[in-house]
Amino acid sequence: MALTSEQSRLLDHPSTRKIALVGPAGTGKTTAGTLWLKKLLESGIPANQILLFIPQRTLAKPYEDSLWDDLALSQGLVSIVTLGGLARRMLDLFWPAISSQTGVAQPDRPPQFLTLETAQYFMAHVVRPLIEEKNYFESLTINRNRIFSQILDNLNKAAFVGFPIEEIAPRLKAAWVGDVEQMHIYDDVQASALAFRSFCLEHNLLDFSLQVEIFIKYLWPLPACRSYLTQSYRHLIVDNIEEDTPVAHDVLREWLPDFDSAVVIADREAGYRFFLGADTQSAMTVVDACDETLLFEKNLVSSKDIQGLQNGFRRAVASLMGETPLQQSLPGADATRAIVTPRENPRYFPAMVNWASAEIRRLIDQGTPAGEIVVLAPFMSDVLRYTLSRKLDEYGIPHHSHRPSRALRDEPAAQTLLTFATVAFPEWGLLPQRINFAFALMQAIDPFDLVRAQLLSRYVYDERAEGFPLKPFEEVPAEVRDRITYRAGERYEQLRSWLAATLPEDDQTLDFFLNRLFGEVLSQPGFGFHNDLENANTVATLIESIQKFRWVIGDQLNHDDFSTGKEYVQMVADGVIAAQYIQPWQDAPKDSVFLAPAYTFLMRNQAVDVQFWLDIGSPAWYQRLDQPLTQPYVLSRRWKAGEVWTTEDELRAANATLLRLSLGLLNRCRQKVYLGMSEMDVSGYENRGLLLRIIQQVLLETKRGIR
Amino acid sequence: MSAAAMKLRPGQQQILRYQNGKMGVSAVPGSGKTWTLSYLAADLIKSGAIQPDQEVLIVTLVNAAVDNFSARISGQLQAAGLLPGLGYRVRTLHGLANDIVRMRPDLAGLSNGFQIVDEVEATRIIRSVSETWLQSNPEFFEPYLDFDESQREKIYTQSQNLPALVESIAVAFIRLAKDRQLTPPDLHRLLAQVQIPLPLVELGAGLYREYQDALNYRGSVDFDDLIRLALRCLESDPSLVATLRQRWPYILEDEAQDSSLLQQKILSLLTGETGNWVRVGDPNQAIYETFTTASPQYLLDFIQRPDVLTRSLPESGRSTWSIISLANSLINWTRDKHPNLDARKALNPPLIQPTPPDDPQPNPPDCPDCIQLVEQLLSPDQEVKFVVDSIEAWLPEHPDQTLAILSPRNTRGFKFADECQRRGIPVVDSLLRSTSSTRLSTSAIFHILNALCDPRESGKLSTAYRVWRRKEREDEQRWPFYQAIAKRIKSCDRVEDFLWPQTANDWLTEIKAEGADAAVLDELETFRDVIQRGQNSVFLPIDQLILTLSQDLFLEPAELALAHKLSVLLRQLSNAHPDWRLPEFTEEMKQIANNQRRFLGFSNEDTAFNPDLYPGQVVVATMHKAKGLEWDAVYLTAVNNYNFPSGEEYDQYQSEKWFARDHLNLEAETLAQLNALTEGRAMDWYQEGAATLEARQEFIRERLRLFYVGITRARRWLTVTANSGRASARNVPARAFLELINAWEKHK
Repeated sequence: MALTSEQSRLLDHPSTRKIALVGPAGTGKTTAGTLWLKKLLESGIPANQILLFIPQRTLAKPYEDSLWDDLALSQGLVSIVTLGGLARRMLDLFWPAISSQTGVAQPDRPPQFLTLETAQYFMAHVVRPLIEEKNYFESLTINRNRIFSQILDNLNKAAFVGFPIEEIAPRLKAAWVGDVEQMHIYDDVQASALAFRSFCLEHNLLDFSLQVEIFIKYLWPLPACRSYLTQSYRHLIVDNIEEDTPVAHDVLREWLPDFDSAVVIADREAGYRFFLGADTQSAMTVVDACDETLLFEKNLVSSKDIQGLQNGFRRAVASLMGETPLQQSLPGADATRAIVTPRENPRYFPAMVNWASAEIRRLIDQGTPAGEIVVLAPFMSDVLRYTLSRKLDEYGIPHHSHRPSRALRDEPAAQTLLTFATVAFPEWGLLPQRINFAFALMQAIDPFDLVRAQLLSRYVYDERAEGFPLKPFEEVPAEVRDRITYRAGERYEQLRSWLAATLPEDDQTLDFFLNRLFGEVLSQPGFGFHNDLENANTVATLIESIQKFRWVIGDQLNHDDFSTGKEYVQMVADGVIAAQYIQPWQDAPKDSVFLAPAYTFLMRNQAVDVQFWLDIGSPAWYQRLDQPLTQPYVLSRRWKAGEVWTTEDELRAANATLLRLSLGLLNRCRQKVYLGMSEMDVSGYENRGLLLRIIQQVLLETKRGIR
Repeated sequence: MSAAAMKLRPGQQQILRYQNGKMGVSAVPGSGKTWTLSYLAADLIKSGAIQPDQEVLIVTLVNAAVDNFSARISGQLQAAGLLPGLGYRVRTLHGLANDIVRMRPDLAGLSNGFQIVDEVEATRIIRSVSETWLQSNPEFFEPYLDFDESQREKIYTQSQNLPALVESIAVAFIRLAKDRQLTPPDLHRLLAQVQIPLPLVELGAGLYREYQDALNYRGSVDFDDLIRLALRCLESDPSLVATLRQRWPYILEDEAQDSSLLQQKILSLLTGETGNWVRVGDPNQAIYETFTTASPQYLLDFIQRPDVLTRSLPESGRSTWSIISLANSLINWTRDKHPNLDARKALNPPLIQPTPPDDPQPNPPDCPDCIQLVEQLLSPDQEVKFVVDSIEAWLPEHPDQTLAILSPRNTRGFKFADECQRRGIPVVDSLLRSTSSTRLSTSAIFHILNALCDPRESGKLSTAYRVWRRKEREDEQRWPFYQAIAKRIKSCDRVEDFLWPQTANDWLTEIKAEGADAAVLDELETFRDVIQRGQNSVFLPIDQLILTLSQDLFLEPAELALAHKLSVLLRQLSNAHPDWRLPEFTEEMKQIANNQRRFLGFSNEDTAFNPDLYPGQVVVATMHKAKGLEWDAVYLTAVNNYNFPSGEEYDQYQSEKWFARDHLNLEAETLAQLNALTEGRAMDWYQEGAATLEARQEFIRERLRLFYVGITRARRWLTVTANSGRASARNVPARAFLELINAWEKHK
């Protein structure tokens, strides 16, 4: 592999230096980082002395790949951590040393770590009475689950930015310009956050914010912990430091002198995880603390035309923000050559999808590898993803999407199992509708069709039963048994007698029950989940989710009339528990079109030849998430006390976000960007957002001859 | 053609000279205000008055007008060699409010993914809230009722009586409270401060709170919330106002006579004292006022302001001189001679003037014989027969002309449509319901879902087959083939042997043995594939199921777009009702298909209705829906004193329930109590019965304008009839109608 001069310069340094690599994406910094890692290993440094510190697990992929390519080198394991991961690991190790300071009610007992789901569940448990009995959040129009998640988000921001949770409301209120009466919602947020924190401390529960807070407050200053860390890790590689949080930067800055060597990589014009607390300014304090900074400037990825397009974006945004645009001319670049638009803008959304799919097919026919194409939208809705996937399937084009799995209540396999659970535990009073039972039968018995499943359920299932609601197959009239077929009847009978023999919930847990149902019946030959890996995965996720729920919740809310299983099933139905997990993208097929939300693609940090940007009229390209109970700008470290947040700020932020995002995407695009939009979005609204206006401006300017 | 090249009327010329500042234009029906306003917008853009990041904002009343404006402006820009679609934005007030709120949802207390519930979901919530309330407060209305004890059961349980009353009170109360920017906690506070009981407000406030809770639970707002919240955002953040003033330096408002208080406030804020605001409207066509704060008075007051340039568009080339005379005589009689003094301000000059002789849109040649004012009172059935007889005779002689039957209410309209259909007269009733193509597409999805819900029923499967092949209906020769197949499917006893055959039981093999030909077998196999795909997809989340089905059902872009929109709607419903399963979603589709819920689709019919596309057919619509449209011939029906009262002793009023004490209009009384409460003088202000009387006056005035709107829809032929209503009603022809007959006699 030919090295760039910057990469060679880095590798010329001895492994006793602390060097920062700074530059835009696409200039070879991460590659330099992997080469540096290799150099460390080749020089005989044990892998377990090397710490790779990243803001998000997906960003470790290039390093993992390079280690995988050269297995012989990595004897032992390089530690790959995020701040959260590090906090949790240290809490596990040093809990007894600091537990008495943390304020938990039972310091002598180990803490329980909450997952996102269980934290959401407990937040609901604490806040629901406040909403229902004290009219909290009355003046808001927002789904309850979002209230809970935004309060958690505020707690996390406090931990990541490093301010006391008591300051959440005062900060938000001080910046508020809206209706004064509306300000009380921040008091409600504050009271809810404090109530949740008390609940956690009282029950030895550590949510994500508390894990980080305790780590920063008590573990990081603890000499034993510090010396453990210092002795364990001698060499540091930090990548995408601009995507990390101020508290992570504080830790790294203080820790830096203790390492023998360090490479700190920072992308300029990035900071995409801003909404999650990323802070590019504090990242630079770590860069500044290094011995030396190497600038990476030469773009190794994008064509000249794409770079021309980037300049066009910079100028258009500057002009929208009323600033004098910097005339960065790039001889020979023509932004319009980097863009492909449909000849006519389609009026309707499906036509946009059809256009994109047809163009993808054309590209592939002309030799572009499928893996060199990504389809991006600001928000990959189910409808968009589904329609696109169907269309690509139709053309036989391989594709994959990196997305959270479907929520459990939308997963047919999970539905089937939970339906049988509600049948087996009639005392819950949650007997399913007959049609659901028929659907479950259709899934469970193989082969079985909807008509026969309905017919069978009509004769054997009593949805109003007080006790066990299933009748034996032999009670079905003979003529109907003929129609259903005896083979299916026999399997039904197998399933029924298994369910009928179910022990009461007191004697077994829901996860145990489902585990057995799956293992002893549904995965056996003649049943629907036999040899079905995808469904097996879903079932495993379901069972794991129930286990975690039971371990944490069962312990806390254990009283006589409380059934963990019933509670779980109801929470799934309400959407509180979705058990959505990110499908591991390592499993993604190598050469296939990638469908993803734009930010997800950025966080994958890989370049491709062609990008499709869909729905370019949508405001979701730049709108901040999680309104109205939290505010990433006001809660950031750079926010000055006493300032108010106005619409002007909002627009400035929107412009900056959009510029950051579009430059980030273009930095990861080699040749062309296809721009898809329809006059009306999927709901029939006409969207003419900022991105569209910027692109118009770029096109106009280019036509006028400014490159 | 450019404005310069085209011959403009003096009124239009004056308006197109506008450059900046405030201007108020009163226009008459058919004077080309949409044309003039879109020209003005295009002129402003072409003249360079707009910077690249600015837009001329056009605000209009209904979605149909949005498309109309957009098409006209973009056409003019293209003709001038400019990029269409840039430099302007056409919105209804709801669309504008949506744009504003989405800029700063936090200021409105909304999450950025907030949803908007459509009218039907809102109605469903209100209905359920009202039912619950009535069940837990059965005694509440006792003091307001006057009835024979034997009728108690009927009053309390029949849906058209008390349940409907509570629902209508809830709708009116919630709308007014939102118009006044009051939230349920605000009302709670205000109620705690007053000393006297205001039971009707307490009722309304309770319903309002429950309703809002239900919306919050869904993370949704309704259309009225959007407007209220947009104003809240603007009032609370001056920098938002400044940003929007910069973005929209010109605001052109159409149909300003139906402007509400909030609309006026929002547009005032967006233009500021020195901004550019053109308001065009016809105060005589204000017909959306009942129980809202909309009022033509806002436009009239605006026009009177010293800083406002006043213009008018009095010339209209739409109708014959005879029809213009009738419309003008209605204005004159109302102003000068209406027996009810309060009603005299309902209609105002300018009178309609015909266009000048060399006008590009000359009035049709006069035809006094084309006017038929039927003085004789008919029974409802006689009226239907009379009108349809007349049309049956007229249509063959005028196959290229357009015609409409207009009635005051939807239900009445259907009677005419049914009779036309019965006699084989082509009828277009899409203005009475969701557009027919939306209904057909939705109905197709419904029938497939219905067959999935109950897969054992061969009848449902047969219907699903028919809708799947619905397009073949147009091919008269082939259709019998498909009908025969549908019949065959219906006759299949064991559906499973057709859809999922076993070796020994295969229906297709059976019918093959019976001699069915290959084409039939092929067709059945193809259909079986479709249904098998559907049945295998029943586990998918509802949105994905709809999309899967739509791949087999639809080819047209608009139909596919509709399927996408339906899938998003059902997804929202599924989030709001986690317990819903296929049967509930199927029921929902049925309601859309049957038009119990109006669902704005994507076909052209939904967004703009063009009467000229239906020559030789009968368009049936309500008079309200006909606003903005015109036909060669118009039948105005049911012009009796029930639909168009004039304040006579014997008049009856739709909002006064027969079981209410002293003819109280309880909706109006509730709103009056709310007004009294908010104005802080409950003790002095609220007098029982006064609001009922005032509501009568308002209704009389609005109905005079509705009559005027009806008359001015006609270009050449106009027939007006009245009916006696139900036997017990003993209605008579409306007073205004009788006066029109007198005036017409004199005119002739």
